[in-house]
Amino acid sequence: MRLFHRTFNKAKIPIGYSEGFNPHPKFSIANPLALGIESDEEYIDIELDNMEVEDFIEKMNLVLPKDVQIIEGKSIEKGETIDSLISWAHYEIEFELKENIEGFGENLMKWLQRDEINIDKIRRKKKKEIKRVENIRPLIGNLTVKEIHEKNVVLNTLLKAGSNGNLKPMDLVEAMNRDMELKIDLQSMDIRRTGQYAEKDNNIFKPL
Amino acid sequence: MINIKTLDKILKKVEKPARYIGMEQNSIEKDISNAKVKFAFSFPDIYDVGMSHLGLHILYNLINNEKDYVCERVFAPWTDMEEEMRKENLPLFTLESKEEVKNFDFLGFTLQYEMSYTNILNILDLSDIPLRAKDRGDNAPLVIAGGPCAYNPEPLAEFIDFFVIGEGEEITLEILKLYEKHKAENWSKDRFLEDIATMEGIYVPKFYQVVYNEDNTIKERKVLNSTAPEKIKKRMVKDLNTMFSPESMVVPYIETVHDRVIMEIFRGCTRGCRFCQAGMIYRPVREKSVDRLVELAENLVENTGYENVSLSSLSSCDYSELHLLIEKLMENFEEKKVGVSLPSLRLDSFIVDILQEIEKVRKSGLTFAPEAGSQRLRDVINKGVTEEDLVNTVTRIFREGWSTVKLYFMIGLPTETDEDVLGIRDLAYKVKDIFFETPKEQRKGNLKITASASCFVPKPFTPFQWLGQDSIEEFYRKAYLVKNNIKDNKIKFTFHDPKLSYLEAIISRGDRKISELILKAWEMGCKFDGWSEHFKYDTWIEVMEELGIDGDFYALRNRDLEENLPWDFIDPGVSKEYLKREYNKSLGEKITDDCRISCNACGIVDCTMRGYKF
Repeated sequence: MRLFHRTFNKAKIPIGYSEGFNPHPKFSIANPLALGIESDEEYIDIELDNMEVEDFIEKMNLVLPKDVQIIEGKSIEKGETIDSLISWAHYEIEFELKENIEGFGENLMKWLQRDEINIDKIRRKKKKEIKRVENIRPLIGNLTVKEIHEKNVVLNTLLKAGSNGNLKPMDLVEAMNRDMELKIDLQSMDIRRTGQYAEKDNNIFKPL
Repeated sequence: MINIKTLDKILKKVEKPARYIGMEQNSIEKDISNAKVKFAFSFPDIYDVGMSHLGLHILYNLINNEKDYVCERVFAPWTDMEEEMRKENLPLFTLESKEEVKNFDFLGFTLQYEMSYTNILNILDLSDIPLRAKDRGDNAPLVIAGGPCAYNPEPLAEFIDFFVIGEGEEITLEILKLYEKHKAENWSKDRFLEDIATMEGIYVPKFYQVVYNEDNTIKERKVLNSTAPEKIKKRMVKDLNTMFSPESMVVPYIETVHDRVIMEIFRGCTRGCRFCQAGMIYRPVREKSVDRLVELAENLVENTGYENVSLSSLSSCDYSELHLLIEKLMENFEEKKVGVSLPSLRLDSFIVDILQEIEKVRKSGLTFAPEAGSQRLRDVINKGVTEEDLVNTVTRIFREGWSTVKLYFMIGLPTETDEDVLGIRDLAYKVKDIFFETPKEQRKGNLKITASASCFVPKPFTPFQWLGQDSIEEFYRKAYLVKNNIKDNKIKFTFHDPKLSYLEAIISRGDRKISELILKAWEMGCKFDGWSEHFKYDTWIEVMEELGIDGDFYALRNRDLEENLPWDFIDPGVSKEYLKREYNKSLGEKITDDCRISCNACGIVDCTMRGYKF
C-alpha cells in the first residue's frame, strides 16, 4: 500500500482521493498477502481521474522497482470491484517433511476424502479471544503433490479466497501437519501465490 | 556476499523482515567489486529509528554521488533477528549488496545518543570485527564515528580508530580521498592514521595518553605522536546554500519514526538555552535561502513521493523568512496534496498564523517546551519564554480549534526548588483553565493535556557541564511531587526513567575509563539500552561495582571550574570562558539575550549573527 501510494505521487498519477480530514488515495489491493508469501500476480483497483490505462502503466512502471511491475490493466465500470470478483487463489507450497515421509501422497489423498477438516479460528475482539471451529474442507478446491524429492515436498493447491470464504495456505498446512503428524518446520516453509481466479457458472478464469 | 539462502530462511522467522532486505526506492546499489572505497554507514539502532535520521540520508547520497565510492547501510538487527543470525552463524551485512560488513574499508557510526553505545559493540561483534581498536589489524575496516556525541569521544576511545568532530559534508570525502591515496600506495593503517590526524576535525585516540590524579580527575593529556594536534577543532560548513544537500531520500517500505521528507532549513541556534548541547556545538547560525529550499523541497517530493515535508532545524520558528518560505511551499504543494510540518515549536504567538496556514484541515496536537515550571528557573536555564507567551499562544490555539497540547519539562535543573517543580503542575492547570475560558462556540474537541518531564542530564560544552545531576531518589521524589499533585483527568503527567538518565549522565561526561564499563556491560548482555524493555539498570550497576567505577563521580559530582574535563581538548568554537560566564550568570538568574539582539562573544569566529537584526 505504502509503495503504491508513494509511486502514485512520484509518477504524478491523477488518482482519486477520499473526502474528509485525512484524504487518502482511492485504491485497494485484492486479497492482500500475508507477510512472507511470494506472489506471481496481484490485482489492484484504482480510481483514476481521466487517464488512459496504457499511459498509467507506462508511468507507474518507470517508477516502480523492477521486481514489482504492472503487467496489464483494464478500465471497468464504477461499482465493480476486483475484490468481489476474485474467489479462488492458487498456491505452490514447499516444505520439508520430518516424519511419515513414506506414503505421504496416499495419506494426503485419504485426508482429503474426509467430509470435515476442522480448525480452530481465533479472533481477537478487544482483549478477549473468541475461539470458533471452522470446517475448511469445502474451502479446498484441489490439492495435489507436484513433486517429492527425498524429504522435500512441493504441493499445488487451489483455495477459496475473498469475502465468500477464505482459507490461508498456512492454516491448510497447519491442519495437514496436525492430522498427518508430519512435524513440518512451519517457519521454513515457502509459499507462493501463483494465480488468482474468478468463478462463474462453475468455471474459473482469470479476472482480467 | 553472505549466504542468501540462509538469510531468506531466517527472514521468515523475524518481525518486520523489510528491516533487513534493502531494495527500497532510491537506495543505491553499485557494483562493490569495482569500488575504490567501500563505506558502511551505521546508525547503531534498529532500521525504523535509523532511517529517520537526516544525517544518514546526507552522507549516503554524498558518498554515492562519487563514482568510485560506495556507501551502504547497516543497522542494529532487532533482538529476534540477532538471535537467528547467531544461530545460523550469519555475519552482519549491509542492506544494499548483502556484503559482510567486515569486508568494507570503513565502518562509520553516527553517535546520536549515549545509550546506543552498547549497540556499537554488538554491531562490531556481529560483524566479526575485533571490538578494541588495538586488536584490529591492517586489513580490518577502519572503525570511525561522528555526530553530536562525538564531542566527548573519550568513552568510546578504546573502540574507535578515529573520530570526526563537527559537520560531515566536507570532511567525509576528504577522508575517503586520503584513504584512496594511501591504499594506492603501500598501505599501512598506522601511516594512514598519522596522516589523517593532521586533518582538521580528526581525533585519533591512540595518539594521546591521559594521566589521572589520585582523586580520579584528569592531571594532563600527553600527545604521543608528533603529527597529532593538542586541540581538535570542529569542522563546520561555511555556506549551507552551496553545501551538498541531498535531493533524494531512501523511502522505506515499512513505517519509520519520521515517515516524510526531512528538509534542514538552517543549522545552529541563537537562543542560548544553557542546558542545550546542540545549541552550543552547532553554532553559528547558518540558513539556507528560501530559493534554495523551495528548489530542494520540489526535488525531494518529486524523488520520493512523500506527502509531507518536515522543516527541520533546532528551532524552526527562528528561520528569518519563515512566512515567505511557508507561503511559497504551500503554493507549490497545494495541488499535489503535500503537507508541510514544523517540528520543534516555540511558544511564540506569531506561530499560530503559520500553523493555521499549514494545517488548514487537520488540527493535530501541538507540542510546546517551556522546559521549566517557574519563571525563575526558566531564567536560570535561559529559556527565553515567559508565562505570558504561553498564555497568549495557548489562548489563540484553543480559539482556532486545537484541543490536544503536550508540554515538555525537565526536572532536576540547577537550583531547582520544590516550588519550581510544582510550577509544572501550575502551568498545566493554567492551560486547562484557558481552554474552559475559551468561548464554547470557538473551542472544539476534548481537551487533553500531557505534561511530560525528562530528567536533566548535564552535557559537555554547555554552561552546566560542571554541575552534578540530581540523584535517582531525588528525581523520583520530584516526579511524584508533581504527579501526586495533579488530580484532573484532563491532565496526564509522565516522566522519563531516572535510572536511564543517571547512566546517560555517566557516559556523556565520561572519560576513557568508561570504555571498560561499556564493554563489560555489553558482555553481560546490555544492548538497546535506550529501549526501556531492554534497559538492564541492575547489570550496569553490578558491572560498575566489579570494575570499581563510581557512577556518582561522573553523574552527581559538582566539578571545580578549573578542573581538566575529559573533553577539554575538543574545540567546538564556543569558548570555555563563555561557558563559564554563562554558568555564573545562570546562578545569578540572569538571562542572556538572543544572539540576534546582541553579540554575547561566545567565541565563534566569523559569525554573521552579531546582533544583526530583529
